[in-house]
Amino acid sequence: MSLIQATRIRGERWLKFIVSAPPFVFLLLFFLLPALIMVVASFRYPGEFGGLAPLFGDLPAGEKGLTLENYQIFFSDFVYAQIFLKSLGVAALTTLVCLVMAYPVALLIARSPKKSRDLLVLLCVLPFASNFLVRIYAWMIILGPMDLLFTRFAVIVGMVYVHLPFMILPLYTNLEKHDPTLLDAAQDLGANAWNRFWKVTFPMSLPGIFSGSVLVFIPVLGMFAIPEILGGKDDWLVGNMIKESFLGTRDWPFGSMLSMMLTIVVLGIAALSMAFAKRGMRHA
Amino acid sequence: MRKSPLLRISAALVFAFLYIPLIVVVIFSFNASKLNAEWVGFTLDWYRVLFHNERMLIAARNSLFIATMAAMLATILGTMAGIAMHRFRPRFLPFMALTPLAMPEILLGVSLLIFFISAFGENALSLLTVIIAHTTFCIGFVAIIVRARLSGMDESVFEAARDLGATPWQSFRLVTFPLIRPAVVAGALMSFTLSIDDFVITFFTAGAGVPTLPLTIYTMIKIAVTPEVNALSTLMMLLTLFLIVVASKVAPDLFRSKRLVKDDEAESKA
Amino acid sequence: MTRTLLTSFFCVFFSFFVAACGAPDPALTASDEEGATEEMKPSPTGRFVRFYNWNNYIADTTVERFEKKCNCRMVQDYFSDHEEMLAKLAAGATGYDVMVPTGNVVETLMAQKMIQPIDKSRLKNLDQVKPEFLDMWFDSGNQYSVPYGYSITLIGYNAEKIKELDLPVDSWALIFEPELLKKLKGKITVMDSQRELFAAALLYLGYSVNDSDEAHLKEARDLILRAKPYWAAFNASSYIKELTIGNIWVAHGYSNDMFQADQDAKAAGRPFTIASSLPKEGAVLAVDNMVIHKSAPHLDLAYQLIDFLIDKQSTAELSNLTGSGSINELSLEYIEQDIKENKAVFPDAETFERLQMLKDYPRKERRLANRLWTEIKVK
Repeated sequence: MSLIQATRIRGERWLKFIVSAPPFVFLLLFFLLPALIMVVASFRYPGEFGGLAPLFGDLPAGEKGLTLENYQIFFSDFVYAQIFLKSLGVAALTTLVCLVMAYPVALLIARSPKKSRDLLVLLCVLPFASNFLVRIYAWMIILGPMDLLFTRFAVIVGMVYVHLPFMILPLYTNLEKHDPTLLDAAQDLGANAWNRFWKVTFPMSLPGIFSGSVLVFIPVLGMFAIPEILGGKDDWLVGNMIKESFLGTRDWPFGSMLSMMLTIVVLGIAALSMAFAKRGMRHA
Repeated sequence: MRKSPLLRISAALVFAFLYIPLIVVVIFSFNASKLNAEWVGFTLDWYRVLFHNERMLIAARNSLFIATMAAMLATILGTMAGIAMHRFRPRFLPFMALTPLAMPEILLGVSLLIFFISAFGENALSLLTVIIAHTTFCIGFVAIIVRARLSGMDESVFEAARDLGATPWQSFRLVTFPLIRPAVVAGALMSFTLSIDDFVITFFTAGAGVPTLPLTIYTMIKIAVTPEVNALSTLMMLLTLFLIVVASKVAPDLFRSKRLVKDDEAESKA
Repeated sequence: MTRTLLTSFFCVFFSFFVAACGAPDPALTASDEEGATEEMKPSPTGRFVRFYNWNNYIADTTVERFEKKCNCRMVQDYFSDHEEMLAKLAAGATGYDVMVPTGNVVETLMAQKMIQPIDKSRLKNLDQVKPEFLDMWFDSGNQYSVPYGYSITLIGYNAEKIKELDLPVDSWALIFEPELLKKLKGKITVMDSQRELFAAALLYLGYSVNDSDEAHLKEARDLILRAKPYWAAFNASSYIKELTIGNIWVAHGYSNDMFQADQDAKAAGRPFTIASSLPKEGAVLAVDNMVIHKSAPHLDLAYQLIDFLIDKQSTAELSNLTGSGSINELSLEYIEQDIKENKAVFPDAETFERLQMLKDYPRKERRLANRLWTEIKVK
């Protein structure tokens, strides 16, 4: 090994250290460590004035240390599972509505001349440049006089409105890649417009539908602002319960436990979607 | 190309769905009634009220400061992470940089709240904690944009620099950085926009004494709904619109970043 | 090219905000980085005081007068419900000078060492405060707090509608009895506050508002769940607007908010008035107090503000313009006759007996109440 090569390898190692270490350390401190602290917090007792009870000290048992109580509460009453199911339902419905609304837009953009595509994409993204709360507030003004404010319908409208681009963009990037000659071939073989869509375009767009759905479904699960602002008395979702535990009822361990449960659900969905995606790829 | 009238009409309806609410917000910011219910007459009063609201000044200044600092930090760290991810394919870095983007925001907000309070005590929440929180989720976006730029480039440039005897620092300064600069600028702008617009994570990591613009909107919506909110919203829309236009000039492929997020996510979990 | 773009972008951006804020302060653009962790200096004199208060709980004229007198600005922030206030203050409220927590929260803040002792020699108006609001159970000797005002959680209603429907308003039954609620379905809101709503239910059942007995709380939960289908929403404070517009006919909320709704309805020329009624079973009294944050950045102004707000004119304005109770003995002569006679603002001695103040639940009971609250929200 020549000297130059040796220095180069040492230089490479230095470089690797210099570029990886700072972001690594930062994220270790401010992402991974907080996540671990939350895991521990979900096994602790609530503090006297909110927050967390101390782990050690001369407090009586049942007020310090670790406990399974938070999880026991969760499993002792069906309401908690019920709120997760409700959130999953809202997320599924939102995803479905997003899909139905995003499809024509994505298809239109994909079938427009190349020059106008970027502009159309920008037109889809632009409303989302306005603040998230502004977009919810807009619906408050519109739905108020129609007597639809504080209903489940309003919640779904808000959720769809906020998450639509996450469906449009992946769908469009998928549809853009389709080969138009396939449709010509189908037409030549006598397929009508509906069959051309249902038998050719739609199956080929499944990967796009898939990534769009994940990008919509997961954020909706944790949303609290939309049900809070647009929803009525029956529209509490998981996010609201977590928020209320931290900034309402001051029961942090319980909120941490709920956050852990939400994490588990999200990871489960991610794993499932991964498995589906792999199977889909094998079939394709 | 195949564009049936049905397709055109339904797409037009969706575009209407996207734009009408925002237009309504803007229109009502000029309404001379305190109740956002019916049109009474034209006025610029709500803007005047807004400009004389001291709380808003503090919020605007906080938002600007947080966004500037978070964008700077995230751009530096995210560029490093992007280069590292492209060049050295580390195992954990992509996982740590990209998971915050894939999880519901509330989880990051809540875990940082517990962390800051347990590590630094009550009263820990401040501008600094918000900056840290914003940096945490912006790093991933910058890293993705930078890495996408790098992976689109010809490796031979870097090899040539090395063969010509450039030290790693020289090759970074003279070759890599000039090439990725558009991505870095785009990442900075994106971080700035994300930070100034963020509500959920700020909500949990800013103490009661650190209002930002989105937090102010939230309080106004929840407590005292007057067209002042519309005026503020209209101004914020103009602002982000401006940022988007700048960003799209600097890096036209920025708007495809969502797809990149998805790819990365799949990769980091695989 | 990108550098010029970036520079121009920041220039435009900052100038936008400077213009937007109407404060051409050179310090804002030039030295933004170094001074930004400190507060900005928006007023010409650069002096201001930060005030964290309940929503709708100070008269505009009071603010104007104080700003003129101290030659400074008053920067205000709001909270709208009991739990929100407690949670936010308990998680730290750095940056504020004066805060207005309710009694039980003063106790918590003292225990958390979040507030500083009050130097009473700096408050020359303190001797005008009615003795019944001094030396209260949460802060004996007023070492940390000075009373600000009080409000009562009661029933507000659209007077014309209720007369038309011929419903009795003198009892919490209006909010909890399906028999009466049938006529009000979807036109009634209750507070989105665990303690306030439980308090109303406990009172209607004949218990104390601080009752933490499991059986009693569960009874309250059942009462609430039975009535919930008839309610339009749990509402923190937009019931003011809903009452004014006429979307809502009955609301469970703070007395001063009902007053505000009535004023707004009059101003907007609505064909109805908003009245309020203090139920015969009793109600929650909230005595709100001014405290100074441990690390208040503007201590001198904080004292000036507190002294100013307990003075007879300010407290009279609080009653006249926001419909809250006055804690100042001498203020009565400045208060308008119809407000003085309004029992929801100035309850007579007999009514006062029926008012109770909320105390913070201990940890275990808090957990129980939280569980029941979740059930109420989800079922």
